[in-house]
Amino acid sequence: MIMMLPFLTGLLGTWFGIRGHRRISVGFWLLTFLIVIAWLNYHMSDSLSISL
Amino acid sequence: MADPLFNPVPSTFSRGINTLALLGICGVLGMAFFDQLVNNELPCPLCLLQRMAFMLIGMGLLLNIRFGPSPMHYGVILLSALVGAVASGRQVLLHLAPGDPGYGAPFLGLHYYTWAFLLFAATMVFVAVMLFIDRRANDQNQAIGTNGFANFVMWLFFLLVLGNLASTLLECGVGQCDDNPTRYLWLS
Repeated sequence: MIMMLPFLTGLLGTWFGIRGHRRISVGFWLLTFLIVIAWLNYHMSDSLSISL
Repeated sequence: MADPLFNPVPSTFSRGINTLALLGICGVLGMAFFDQLVNNELPCPLCLLQRMAFMLIGMGLLLNIRFGPSPMHYGVILLSALVGAVASGRQVLLHLAPGDPGYGAPFLGLHYYTWAFLLFAATMVFVAVMLFIDRRANDQNQAIGTNGFANFVMWLFFLLVLGNLASTLLECGVGQCDDNPTRYLWLS
């Protein structure tokens, strides 16, 4: 798992957004969003120290 | 004949509000950076995921500034805020038990992840209000001109994302971060 990957794809999306390429920017946003969800799923596997 | 439903000219007022909101996101990312560099508090994986969610929100705001407000851009912001709320809410729950000191030093009485949760919730309210204001916004692929202030804010955001990329590389390399990081992997 590469932790810095979403920042890299987010940086590219931001660059294309500033340069006026909306479709590519939104494409990179979607890619970043999916990676963040995957990384979030990985880091939410610990059990919580609370009882319900 | 002009379309009676959609406004063909992007609202200057709405783009101004989005610029200020992006400046706010820059403030949040800058504050996290300041704490990291000055107090040497390295971000944990969940903290980094919250920064990523703020970055995703910023990308949606930037689209509103660069291409004019659109329901799709607000969808981008809303989904990003939702992911951020899940990440920060999870971290709040991790430290909910009595006697748990929490992760990192508190700021104005609350930990950063608690502030983050409140800000993600506030972002959702912001989107709802902006959708009222931009109810006649027209979706378009064509970039529109931006003023000097908007350019400054967009490039500031770009630099903060670049800084986060560099800092995460130094802290974690090209792999996974420690759960409780105490040193930069590439500086030790």
